[in-house]
Amino acid sequence: MSDPLVTMDLHPQPGAGQLKPWEFPVPEHGSLASGLALQRCHRPGQQVMAIEICMDAPLDAEPDGLDGIATIMVHALEEGCGPYTAEEFAAELERCGATVGSRVDYTGARISMEVPASRLERALGLLAEALRAPTFAASEVDRLVRNRLDEIPHELASPPRRAAKQLSAELFPSSSRMSRPREGTEDTVARIDAAGVRAFYDAHLRPGTATAVIVGDLAGIDLDRMLADTLGSWTSPLAPTAPAQTVTADQASRFVIVDRPGAVQTQLLVGRTGPDRRDPVWPALVVGTYCLGGTLTSRLDRVLREEKGYTYGVRAFAQVLRSPAMAAADGAAGTSLLAISGAVDTASTAPALADMHSVLRTLAAEGLTDAERDLAVQNLVLVAPLRYETAAAVAGTLADQVEQHLPDDYQAELYKRLAATTTGAATDAVVAAFPPDGLVTVLVGDAAEIRAPVEALGIADVTVVAN
Amino acid sequence: MGQTASHDIRAGGLTATEHRLANGLRVVLSEDHLTPVAAVCLWYDVGSRNETEGRTGLAHLFEHLMFQGSAQVHGNGHFELVQGAGGSLNGTTSFERTNYFETMPAHQLELALWLEADRMGSLLAALDEESLQNQRDVVKNERRQRYDNVPYGTAFERLVAFAYPAGHPYHHTPIGSMVDLDAATLEDARAFFRTNYAPNNAVLSVVGDIDPEQTLAWVERYFGSIPRGTGKVPPRDGTLPETIGAELREEIREEVPARALMAAYRLPHDGTRDCDAADLAVTVLGSGMSSRLYNRLVRRDRTAISADFGMLRLVGAPSLGWLDIKAASGAEFAAIEGAVDDELTRLGADGPSSEEMERAQAKLEREWLDRLGTVAGRADELCRYAVLFGDPQLAFAAIGKILDVTAGEVRAVAAARLRPDNRAVLEYEPVTATNEADQAGEDRDDQEEAGQ
Repeated sequence: MSDPLVTMDLHPQPGAGQLKPWEFPVPEHGSLASGLALQRCHRPGQQVMAIEICMDAPLDAEPDGLDGIATIMVHALEEGCGPYTAEEFAAELERCGATVGSRVDYTGARISMEVPASRLERALGLLAEALRAPTFAASEVDRLVRNRLDEIPHELASPPRRAAKQLSAELFPSSSRMSRPREGTEDTVARIDAAGVRAFYDAHLRPGTATAVIVGDLAGIDLDRMLADTLGSWTSPLAPTAPAQTVTADQASRFVIVDRPGAVQTQLLVGRTGPDRRDPVWPALVVGTYCLGGTLTSRLDRVLREEKGYTYGVRAFAQVLRSPAMAAADGAAGTSLLAISGAVDTASTAPALADMHSVLRTLAAEGLTDAERDLAVQNLVLVAPLRYETAAAVAGTLADQVEQHLPDDYQAELYKRLAATTTGAATDAVVAAFPPDGLVTVLVGDAAEIRAPVEALGIADVTVVAN
Repeated sequence: MGQTASHDIRAGGLTATEHRLANGLRVVLSEDHLTPVAAVCLWYDVGSRNETEGRTGLAHLFEHLMFQGSAQVHGNGHFELVQGAGGSLNGTTSFERTNYFETMPAHQLELALWLEADRMGSLLAALDEESLQNQRDVVKNERRQRYDNVPYGTAFERLVAFAYPAGHPYHHTPIGSMVDLDAATLEDARAFFRTNYAPNNAVLSVVGDIDPEQTLAWVERYFGSIPRGTGKVPPRDGTLPETIGAELREEIREEVPARALMAAYRLPHDGTRDCDAADLAVTVLGSGMSSRLYNRLVRRDRTAISADFGMLRLVGAPSLGWLDIKAASGAEFAAIEGAVDDELTRLGADGPSSEEMERAQAKLEREWLDRLGTVAGRADELCRYAVLFGDPQLAFAAIGKILDVTAGEVRAVAAARLRPDNRAVLEYEPVTATNEADQAGEDRDDQEEAGQ
């Protein structure tokens, strides 16, 4: 080699081999006598099974003034049930090598469990007890309430979480559940008690409006019998579905600084609302958003990180908040959050915002290139077998399809639609999603340092709120 | 072809073969045709323990530079080519190693091998001052984002500095200090590459839907001409007394949301049976929602909202036990610490119950299933055992060893190590003054990454 810094024989870049076919699996349906809908999916070799229970208990269903009760309720399912105390139940789950997580969102409540196949039946039995016969002991609910109250200061101290809380409050009217923290505030959580938790459980947790998703290596497992013997014990009459609220959002362009004196970085969260996955624009939105901020070679990081060094990385994303059933929608369409998120050092706050707006304006004026579109589509489509290597990943997406009222073949079809997305369509979608003059920008940082430089940008009005 | 095939070992249905190129590059292959994906993982036997005084953070900063191009890969081409092929990638730096990995659709495996070889053999052809300046700023923002601008964010750094004394190769964490990051020069980076980035200082694993014969031929083609390195400097001696000897303690007054009690313990070296026993001991005490500390502090005393005890396995120095308790409002340190002392003493005296052993072993078994259940996780573990212990096959034997440990051994290690005279304690006391200096994460990562 002529270059002394090259010590090897250089070879030309190799081409690709033969692409092996792969498709996102379509689940097999069933149901139990209780009305619990079932979706199962056999994934050979996956010895850690994934179970998702999707329940029609969304945040919108919470009674007025009791924000957070749905989350406390799903957590309380694990704090004693049937013959088990809270400690015994946790011990039994861990004895199975099982892990369980639960959360509530605008799309519903969900319990996610993973467990080695050899202990599936035992773990399903425990899950069934929690759903069928929760104890809701006053002492345990009180502990969850007090824990939750003590967690709130930790969340407010986290820059990304503080920014998310502020953006929700800015975008949505105070009457909307979406304007307020998912797990409630000090005021609302303090009002929650065991009686309220049981009332919420009675009203909203019904097998007839729930779906269980089971994914893993099902070979040699008599799943029908196993499910009938376990989750089949959870029975109760059908309850009416809570109507979804109509969502409105105030997207007027503005900067809001959450003042954090002395902060060495500013957390940025720039957002507005957009459509859900059923909107025909979704695949183009996914492609365009990747081009804008999907990775460190996307437009934003190419400048903000790899050219300027202002940040460890910023990302653009589209996250579905709610996607009500068509039939029950009554004109209420689905909603997503479209956002750009990241952190920049304090001194670079205004320069980074200026560059971000410049990137957005250039994108609107000149559009995406075919090369960018191709790179994005290839990544988004070809990464699927890797993304869905585990049972948990497949189960999670199947559960999302359930919660967002999407057809069984949605994910499989999405890959075809991504592949068919044109550069022009991706440009139109991302420009509509991130209009420079229609974004709400939250900055969690040191107002004394960043306010004047941000105002001097002349992009939009700046207000400061206390941390 | 310069490599010698060695033995196959079966464990839980998983197998791996080992090979070595003439230039010293060790290669580990493991076939798995369930999903059409292939993981490439490359471990270099260099980490923050190899850094010298005044240059902390260099190993990690250098890891970032590995993504800035090489002779045939321009700019961010490494990221673009892998992601454009439908792969995912990253690199991370810890105390004892630096790893790089690409997980690809199976038909794009050759590309990943070409990319890794190109930078192993020709990075210096592309490395320049502009990249260094840029990535220095990126890493400083990584430090701010993950440590300095996060409540309790510098706790890990403080505990490590406490547990491993000044001058010890593990005294500082991989992220390094702002002053040292500013001081790093292009010549430092070049010298670091020449010293450490050689085929005979690395292990390459390829796991997944692969044809082993074809894979080895590609490895030979792309890596085979890279010359063996000669400049390897072993890390400074990490020998320390097995225990700290006397309790160390510091009160930290910071703008944090609540009181927190954290402690570091010196635990047995990774690779020993005592280390597995210690893993079980800290699991019984502080992992999950049925652990002794969770039951005592969170459920019964209600003095804490979280109680976690974990272990960072280390080979070249005592492993690090890390206790992290976030207090409930109104709870006093004395009450929390008294309860912790009770529980640790009790475990040292009586050992775990058979139910606790069953749970802790089930939990650790599950964690191993998760790690070996993906091609990327398996590739990383094979490299780990090859680099740190000289034998990748040990990856498949690791869980069996943990399941073999007895309650008596757990009791013994608890009695020997989980003692007040073997710990460094941090008491976080919140202050509300708005002009306090740095805030601090609950981030327990021991490693830094190139990309988010």
